[in-house]
Amino acid sequence: MRGFGDLEAEVMHRVWDHDGPVTVRELFEEMRKQRAIAYTTVMSTMDNLHRKGWLSRDKDGKAYRYAAVASRDEYSARLMREAMAEAGDTEAVLTHFIAQMDGEQSQVLGDVLRRLTEGQGA
Amino acid sequence: MRPALPLLCYALTVAWCLPPWLARLTSRGVSAPLGLAAWLCAMGSVLAAAGLVIQFLFRTIGADWPSLTRALCRSVAGTACTPVVYRSALYELGVTAVALAVTVAAALALWRYGRRVQRAGRRSREHAEVARITGRALAGTGAVVLDDPRPAAYCVPGRALAGSGAIVLTSGALALLDAPQLAAVLAHERAHLTARHHAIVTATRALTAAFPAVPLFTRGAAEVARLTEMSADDVAARRAGRAPLAAALLAIATGKAVPGTILSAADLAVPARVERMIQPARPLLHAVVGLALAAVLAAVVVLPAVLAQYA
Repeated sequence: MRGFGDLEAEVMHRVWDHDGPVTVRELFEEMRKQRAIAYTTVMSTMDNLHRKGWLSRDKDGKAYRYAAVASRDEYSARLMREAMAEAGDTEAVLTHFIAQMDGEQSQVLGDVLRRLTEGQGA
Repeated sequence: MRPALPLLCYALTVAWCLPPWLARLTSRGVSAPLGLAAWLCAMGSVLAAAGLVIQFLFRTIGADWPSLTRALCRSVAGTACTPVVYRSALYELGVTAVALAVTVAAALALWRYGRRVQRAGRRSREHAEVARITGRALAGTGAVVLDDPRPAAYCVPGRALAGSGAIVLTSGALALLDAPQLAAVLAHERAHLTARHHAIVTATRALTAAFPAVPLFTRGAAEVARLTEMSADDVAARRAGRAPLAAALLAIATGKAVPGTILSAADLAVPARVERMIQPARPLLHAVVGLALAAVLAAVVVLPAVLAQYA
């Protein structure tokens, strides 16, 4: 189901795990140790990620050095901001399993829960 | 104009008077899929009736202008200048003005609807892509995990054909759920993606943006969202069991782990979704609500067609 997106995710996670910018060659050598993969595949994936705005790159001699535009935590935080916003405040259509309840509602439910758990006879 | 009045009255009645009654039928989620169908068909029905009324307005103008201009010409040219001709001219001008105003309003609503749908699609695809790339894959499930202590689980659609939607769990949610509860959550989210609930939610939300003052659309959007949740609950309950699903709902809502499948007794003040998992509706209630919803469904499908015959 995830196919190509999978590879993009893997490349991004490896770039994030590096301290500084990384070349296609370096990443390719790293990935080749764990699975069969072609240099050109890694190169085109990184090129795609650059085109989509995930990676920035600087010419270093003959090769490009790629770096993540934002950290993993920054992307996560952005997603969570959108996910935790009220349905009316965001345009993305996210269907939540169930919304987290506010203090009072949660209190009531928590009480119900405790009673049910005790009813079980522990 | 008079023949279109029944259609107009029908559209106004369904748009303003039906919502409270329909909401009472669907609020507890008895026969959730039928309730969903009733809301959506009522919305479609009102839009169709409104479209027919607009079409009728234009037909009236088209039919009456030629005879009116002939009459006006005769009156200007000669002797037949009667107050009747001028009254009728004023009437025709009035109808034309109304038709133009209605057309402009409809075009505006359509534009707002389209813009909203387009933006929702783009933002959702972006969200899904960022989630799939930044999230940690949860092995064997197709879901991704984001590090956040707040418990949350949701899904977001991707590109329509690529099936690239994402199911997202926070690490906080993952820590709260045992294996059967996690299976129930995943089954619930997959049910949303499979049934294309996002398309329905997007459309009804966009209708709210297009007609912000019409109760059928504003209240309808909220009810439709609830009913898609309940439909997904039903699918998940069949796949993963009612008890784990109810426990998972409680766990994520309260942020406290619910040990095992403790839920055997119902209690007061449990939200509708948990309640219907713990204590499903009795068959009789199910049948009565189902019949009532079927009647609403039949009415909103048949009535505009019948009334259109008179227009």
